[in-house]
Amino acid sequence: MNCFSDCSTTISLVTKQTLELWRGTMKEVGGKFGTGVLSYFKFLKWLLMFNIFSFLVNFGFITIPQLIYHPTPDIPAGVSFKGLEILTGAGYFSHTVMYYGGYSNKTQGTGGRSEYNMQLAYFFTVAAYMVLCGAALIYSMASSFRKKYVLADSGLGGAWQLLCSWDFSVTNEKAVRQRKNNLRIQLKESLSEKVQVALLPLTERLKHYGVFLGTWLLSTGMALGCGTSVYFLCQYDTWEAATLLLPFVVSLINLVVPLFYSLFKKIEHYSNPRMQVYAIIVRNVILKMSILGILCSYWMKDVANTFSCWESIVGQALYRLVIMDFLFIMLGSFFGEFLSNVIGTKCIQSLGVPEFDVARNVLDLIYAQTLAWIGIYFSPLLPVIQIIKFFILFYLKKVSLTQNCQPPRRAGRAAQMQTIFIAILFFPSFLGALSMVAYTVWTLPPSDKCGPFRGLNTTFSAIQIWMDDLNRVDAFQWTVWIYQHVIRSEIFYFLVSLIILVFIYIFRQITQGRQLLITLLRQQIVNVSSGELSGPTCLVHQSWCVRSGCVYVMMLLKCRSNIFS
Amino acid sequence: MGTTASQLRKDLLSEYQELTFLTKQEIILAHKRFSELLSKEDRNIPTPRVPMEKVLSLPELKSNPFRKRICHVFSTSDMKDGSLTFEDFLDLLSAFSDSATLEIKSHYAFRIFDFDDDGTLDGGDLEKLVNCLTGETDDTRLTTEEMRQLISNILEESDIDKDGTVNLSEFQHVISRSPDFVSSFKIVL
Repeated sequence: MNCFSDCSTTISLVTKQTLELWRGTMKEVGGKFGTGVLSYFKFLKWLLMFNIFSFLVNFGFITIPQLIYHPTPDIPAGVSFKGLEILTGAGYFSHTVMYYGGYSNKTQGTGGRSEYNMQLAYFFTVAAYMVLCGAALIYSMASSFRKKYVLADSGLGGAWQLLCSWDFSVTNEKAVRQRKNNLRIQLKESLSEKVQVALLPLTERLKHYGVFLGTWLLSTGMALGCGTSVYFLCQYDTWEAATLLLPFVVSLINLVVPLFYSLFKKIEHYSNPRMQVYAIIVRNVILKMSILGILCSYWMKDVANTFSCWESIVGQALYRLVIMDFLFIMLGSFFGEFLSNVIGTKCIQSLGVPEFDVARNVLDLIYAQTLAWIGIYFSPLLPVIQIIKFFILFYLKKVSLTQNCQPPRRAGRAAQMQTIFIAILFFPSFLGALSMVAYTVWTLPPSDKCGPFRGLNTTFSAIQIWMDDLNRVDAFQWTVWIYQHVIRSEIFYFLVSLIILVFIYIFRQITQGRQLLITLLRQQIVNVSSGELSGPTCLVHQSWCVRSGCVYVMMLLKCRSNIFS
Repeated sequence: MGTTASQLRKDLLSEYQELTFLTKQEIILAHKRFSELLSKEDRNIPTPRVPMEKVLSLPELKSNPFRKRICHVFSTSDMKDGSLTFEDFLDLLSAFSDSATLEIKSHYAFRIFDFDDDGTLDGGDLEKLVNCLTGETDDTRLTTEEMRQLISNILEESDIDKDGTVNLSEFQHVISRSPDFVSSFKIVL
């Protein structure tokens, strides 16, 4: 009995320590650079988990059955493995299980119990993964939002926030000294900001608004311009080596244009430095998503109508984008961090050692993950490439960080940035990928000659056929009923949306009522305690029922009881 | 503690696990690190105490600006010398662990920041707090005027009942609105 519990304890300890991937490295990074930079690595690890899960699901349910029943891919004569495939993804790879085209549409197995319907498997695997991803994202976004955005009163930015954000996990002596320095500078800045509440004269404000309008128009114009140039470039995507040109240009745009955007910092004057960071993030997101949007619409419209095995073509294009993005992130690390360090220390001393730009790096990660999510349907094994990429990226960024960068100067609002990053991951990135896959599945006709859905009108018809089959069996009538009256009826969704809207309205009224309650109670505390003749300060019980309202109620009750006792 | 210095008894281990926020592996690691701090003679007495200087030699505490206050707050010694037994050490790690709640962390943070141990944070405590965090030498301190301004800003923000000091509940209230606090009030071995 003892021995068994011993064994199980040791086994669980060992597995926990190995599953806790990179724990030592992350503690080291957090100790030297603080929680702001650490949040990048935690985000990377979180995205890696998504990809590992996707790989396991896809490989287990789609690829393994395909490999069991068709162990050798049927590659046409004359096509052999050249080295170029690693970069282009075309050629030899396009006939393997890497892409949609490599999967058969037959129901595998000998009939009876050991049947495996490839069409349903493919559809449900992709659908289940997307739904689970969406649920995980919504959950973490909501909990992060509740903890870090709503409860954090952004109005009272000042001194307490700075003092209470002292990072106890920083252990490096030099880093601690630097943080003390930075904190002192920030305290002095916040003191001088409070003094300078001066209202600018009207001409100054008009000038600022004019500059804002100009820079925003310019940045949106640049994003649209890049989008159109990518669209025209798509038309030339014909022979094999030139297929690399499109991803190269896309990644180049993603690298160069944000640097251009950061030049705008010199001209614009935001009242709040946080607004500056938000503006940069929004501009970058608009740029990246508009390029992806144009590429997707090109694939949906032109490629789907022109090529015979168009899903594999789209899969290959995504593969190339992923690989090229990886190469460019490595280049970006080289230029952004290594060269900046060299320039800052040897040539132009005034620039100094660069800081690790968390926002830019996280946006790169989000872009990479968007590509992977779009590619789930077209290339089931794309997560493998993504896993390798993220693995290498972790170590690359860690080395670059420790060699080239210094800890950040501003005690960053790491928690609020975290919420925004998760929100960006969910809203344009995941929802965009999901809507593109959903559009493909719902409306576009699958290709005739390859893939699991060949011959059908749309991919979704596979479900229709399955439902018709089930209809003939009495035991499954309830599934068919659910399908016809819930999933395919519009009235159901309309009613659900209406109910949700009503609930949102009610909850909003409750929130507003509570805010009013808080203001009233605050005033009452001041009144009650200034009416105190003498006596000790209020000692308060901690009972956290509703954070906002009840704290004040408790304090009020105790203050009152102190007066009357 | 355990019967031998190198092994922690199983029942004590599960007892500690229930009483603190630490996991089994964290307690075992803490035991190992604590034993390394003990001198040879101390290893055999039932509840050894590690003097404050030895505790402050831990790399996790060495550069922390609040290291002395941390030792004083968690120490249960009668002589108020900041020495820690193993259970004090576990209390320390538990309060600073990942899974400790906001209430626990803010309670201990309040005690750590309360330099004169009088149960409230008055102007003197706040001034010592700011000096701890900005630097000890003369050229890194804030000027008197800046300090006065800063303390009045802090009190304006957090002193709800306007009595000139920040008590525990006001402190916890202002901490609950600082989302970075929980993730930065952490010491992990």
